[in-house]
Amino acid sequence: MAEDLYAVLGLEPRASREQIERAYRFSIGLYGEGALGTYSLLEPSEAEAQRLRVREAYEVLIDPEKRRRYDEGEGFLPPDAPVLPFPGPPSSGKERVELPERLTGPDLRRMREARGMSLRQIATVTKIGMRYLEYIEGDRFDFLPPAVYLRGFLQEYAKQLGLDPRGVAGAYMSRLP
Amino acid sequence: MALSLSEILPIAAPKVRRQIWSVGGGKGGIGKSLLTASVGWQLARMGRRVVLVDADLGGANLHTCLGLPTPQRTLADFIQRRVPGIEDVLSEAGAPGLRLISGASDLLSAANIKHAQKLRVMNHVRTLDVDVVLIDLGAGTSFNILDFFLLSDVSILAVVPEPTSIENGYRFIKSALYRRLRAAAPHERVRQLIDAALDPRSDAGLKTPLDLLARVEAEDREAAETLRREMRAFQPRFIVNEVREAADEAIGHQLVAACARHLGLRATYAGFVHHDDAVWRAVRRRRLFMVDAPTSRVAEEVRQLTRGLLKGESLGPGY
Repeated sequence: MAEDLYAVLGLEPRASREQIERAYRFSIGLYGEGALGTYSLLEPSEAEAQRLRVREAYEVLIDPEKRRRYDEGEGFLPPDAPVLPFPGPPSSGKERVELPERLTGPDLRRMREARGMSLRQIATVTKIGMRYLEYIEGDRFDFLPPAVYLRGFLQEYAKQLGLDPRGVAGAYMSRLP
Repeated sequence: MALSLSEILPIAAPKVRRQIWSVGGGKGGIGKSLLTASVGWQLARMGRRVVLVDADLGGANLHTCLGLPTPQRTLADFIQRRVPGIEDVLSEAGAPGLRLISGASDLLSAANIKHAQKLRVMNHVRTLDVDVVLIDLGAGTSFNILDFFLLSDVSILAVVPEPTSIENGYRFIKSALYRRLRAAAPHERVRQLIDAALDPRSDAGLKTPLDLLARVEAEDREAAETLRREMRAFQPRFIVNEVREAADEAIGHQLVAACARHLGLRATYAGFVHHDDAVWRAVRRRRLFMVDAPTSRVAEEVRQLTRGLLKGESLGPGY
């Protein structure tokens, strides 16, 4: 099977460096010696071969210059190329969500639910504790982490919802006491 | 004669379609019955009409998990036609909206019920006017169990973070998949290849469904397309039970990734439930832990799991 390097790590070609790091750690664990998820599926030699492929893929993708050359050689667009929407019927496209100046926790929750995402999904992908996500959506200011962390959490959260990370962080934090 | 409106317009479809969910796992003693009982209890709590079916015909114990006495009537009465309908073996299960069809513990040969009897059970189960029928499949990978699993709308596979359970889980998935592919195979040659893939001593070099697919593709592209369609439609949902540490939670992600990368299957990770002494304490008191310890972490995890199963949501890729 001639998979591309992204597929070896279970990634999409636009993956960020952070996603590549996470996928690498996950894949190394997946094919680790005696890893529960694979040991009965793969021979030790196969697992070893997989580890090798994973490491090779990681070494190329994590190095910006090597990744650029790989992308170019294989015909992938660079990861920062803009994603253009498909042409659709006019005015149906909700590509850009107009954010209000102030966003409350319940606002965020409504937007999340409208996208059919669970808090757990967001927690799993972003590695932000469920507890903090609940505090954010519950507007429980007393329990929120310091502003620098909160901003990061809000931006990660917004990204998962496909919203403008900075806009969401700003609109939510403008209400902090 | 003019037709009335109701004869012209289609009758509105029921809001909640009847669904059949089944819980399998290959190995015994991994908490399938407790999972089935607690998820079913929670579904009923959420307003669904739920029928639990104990299809563990050799060692039925779903009633014990629910804290119920041995039911008067069991599936055996239906199978042996001592009662006319499947409704006649429904018993109360200790919560509004929850009913139980108990396993056939008094019937020695029941674990090997014949194909026609199995179909009759399945067909009658499908006619039950309820929201969810939740089947506890019991241990093993017999054809009966695999067929119930394959005929379900939601096919749940429970594992615990132990090598033997994971190994059995994969065996279960492969057996179920190959049985499904075999049923869909367009001709004898494809069936032969599937049998070769199933046989661990075969030297055909067909170790995984992906190998099989590649081989069929080389001989008959149309047949390969049929198999590929069946593989896409086969989407088992993993539950990791008896989680003790953080690394155990991640096993569900590993299973999903391994299924995708090495078996070509779109499995998903429905959720996990921790090991908790509250569970066995409740069992000893002959009560379900959802009732006995509603504020415990396991009870909350079952609530989350049930929501996820109901909405078709799953946990992210784990990285």
